[in-house]
Parts: sequence; structure tokens; C-alpha cells
Amino acid sequence: MAINLVKGQTIDLRKNDKGETFDLSKVTMGLGWDVRQKNTGFLGKLFAPKEEEFDLDAIAFLLDGNDKVQNLGRTVNQNGRQVGLFEGDVIFFNSMRHPSGNIWLTGDNRTGAGDGDDEQIIVKLDSLDPIYQKIIFVVSIYQGRQNNQHFSMVENAFIRAVDANGKEITRYSLSGDTSLNGMCTMVFAEAYRRDGGWKFRAIGEPHQTDSFLEILKKYVNA
Amino acid sequence: MAINLQKGQREAINAPQFTIGLGWDTNSASTGTSFDLDTSVFVLGDNKRLLSDSHFVFYNNLKTPDGAVEHSGDNLTGDGDGDDEQIKVDLSKIGSAAAEICVVVTVHDAENRRQNFGQIRNSYIRVLDGANNEVLKYELEEDFSIETAVEFGRIYKRNNEWKFEAVGVGMKDGLEFFLNKYN
Repeated sequence: MAINLVKGQTIDLRKNDKGETFDLSKVTMGLGWDVRQKNTGFLGKLFAPKEEEFDLDAIAFLLDGNDKVQNLGRTVNQNGRQVGLFEGDVIFFNSMRHPSGNIWLTGDNRTGAGDGDDEQIIVKLDSLDPIYQKIIFVVSIYQGRQNNQHFSMVENAFIRAVDANGKEITRYSLSGDTSLNGMCTMVFAEAYRRDGGWKFRAIGEPHQTDSFLEILKKYVNA
Repeated sequence: MAINLQKGQREAINAPQFTIGLGWDTNSASTGTSFDLDTSVFVLGDNKRLLSDSHFVFYNNLKTPDGAVEHSGDNLTGDGDGDDEQIKVDLSKIGSAAAEICVVVTVHDAENRRQNFGQIRNSYIRVLDGANNEVLKYELEEDFSIETAVEFGRIYKRNNEWKFEAVGVGMKDGLEFFLNKYN
């Protein structure tokens, strides 16, 4: 039975207090969200506009023992654009697969449509190089500031961890409330090494910026 | 050489002076109020009750009448490196009626602010002996992540000798809980 976390809570990913153990050879971090439907009323529903499309992006930062991202990758040309952070320790829509093959983003869902996980980051926790001590999971609303889209408008946002056998280990949900007005990026959760295993902490820390690069600055050597 | 105590373990206190240190990081999120941790001390008599109101050392009462227990002052945000609050204890000055000293750490206004230790980065409480060796330390965000109050340790007199016991009991309460317990 998956444990539902409250903000700040930490748990051991290997086992829960009911004695259930989990296989961390491959952990799927699933992120999902729904966009709050606008109240349009009867006439509004007749001429209903399309449900507003929010593009939420899941991003992972691999950190070393000093809470820093060591490898910022390189800049490459993708479809005629210069794109940075390629094949570094940041997993995101322009660099979805880590060179080690131990962590990757499965795809970019641009509308939030569909039930269940909207985006997934898969980590082979047991195989991850020992220099990586922590993984931070961030969710950003792409171009949220210019589109006036904030986390207060997002419902049923969750992050969940599923083990190699498909067993859900834990889940952390948050629903957009007014305290998230103007917030376009969320440091959702982190997985970190402890006592020879892995723990998971529900963070839920909102930020106004819609660019995860602003958050990344804190984790980079000056 | 530092001794690291296990929960429930007791050690004799060799030198009469020691320091309780409390530290934490400020809130780096764009929303939410600051994190305000408080360390407090209850000096109790044989009846396990406060010797007097002034024997409850906390942010509004920084010193016991005998001067044996002294609080460094209220840190409201966690700003600053190292210990953000300290309580210095000098058992050589303590009145003879004192039988037990109870140390707690609480998250101020936790219920209204919807905070717990798990949200507070690098939060810890520790005891340093007279030579500044760390005798005991709890990482609050790890060991008490969903809680808001911890009974950290107690110093008690046995056969005229003071001993320290690591308690480490967390709860989802506030300072008022301890006030009711020891009043």
C-alpha cells in the first residue's frame, strides 16, 4: 500500500513500516496534473473553448555530495537552435537521456491530457554512480509567466515513485490553492542516499520563476 | 573524544558546563513564512514540576534566577551559520532544589504556518560538552520529519551526580504541551 506523504515528510524507498520491500533497480518517478476547468456556465459550455493547455515539464538535477550539479553538459545544435546543458547531469526536455543510461525522461507531454502519469523520469537507483548523492525533481510551467499560468490553477498534481515491479512506493499530492498564485515552478521532491539506501522527501517548494534554470543556479558552483 | 548517544542512553556529565545548540536554514521558497525554531529548557524539582515560572527558560525568559541556565536569544528565521540559538547550562551554579532539566525544541506557530521539521533544511539540535565536543545530535528534518516538537534530552541528578539522557521523542505538538506537562 503506497504511503501518501505530507510536505516535509521523508521515507525510506527500500521498505515501508508495514514490512513491504521494494525493488529499486528501476524506479519510475511519475508526475501528473490536471488543469482546473474554467467555470464557464451554461452558455459558456455551449461555446466551450478548448481546455487551456498547460505545458508542465518534469526536470531532474543529479547532485553530488556537496549538493552541486557537477556536469553541465555542452551546447549543441538542435533543429537549428543552440541548446545548452546537453548530456549533463540535468535531465529535461532538451536532454532526456543521461549519458550513463541510468536516468531518463520518457517524453514531453505538452498539454497535460490523459489520466495517470503525464510525464515520467525513470531512474535505475541501484546502478546510479556513487558520486550522485541526491536527485531533485522539479516541475516548471513552460512559459508560465507570459501565459499567466500558475500552480494555483493546477489540480491533482502529484509525484509518485513506482518500483521495478510496478508497485507504488509512495505518492505526494498537492492541489493548487491561492498560496500558489503567481508560482510557476515547484521543487517537488528529492531522492537522496542515506544509510546505504535511498530515501525520498516531499518538498513542495514553490517559486515564481517559470524557468528551472533559476532554480539550477543554487546547485551550481559559482 | 565525542560520545554519540543512542536514544535512551545515559551518560554521566563530567564537566558542569555544556551548551545546547540549535541550528537550521532559512526558508528559501518564494512563498510561506519563515521557519522559527525554538529551544527551551524546563528546570524541575523532585515533583517533576517547574521550580517557578522563571525556571522555564525560553525566548521570553532568557535566564534562571541562579544564572545556571542562559538562553542566547530568539532567532526568528535561522539566519546565520552554525548554531542559531544556544542555551548554556552551568550545573555548578544551579540551585539545590533542581532535580531535572528538560530540553525541548519546537517549531513556532507550526499549526498556523503548516510547517514541520521535515521542511526545515539542515535543522539540528545538539549538546556540546565543556570542551566543545559534540555529545549528541539529532538531525530534526530526518529523524522527526512530520513532527513539530521534540523532547530532546534530560539532565537529571542521581546520587548527587548529574547525568544526561538522550530522549528523542517527537510529537505533533507545540511548546504549550510541555508547559502543561511541567506546570
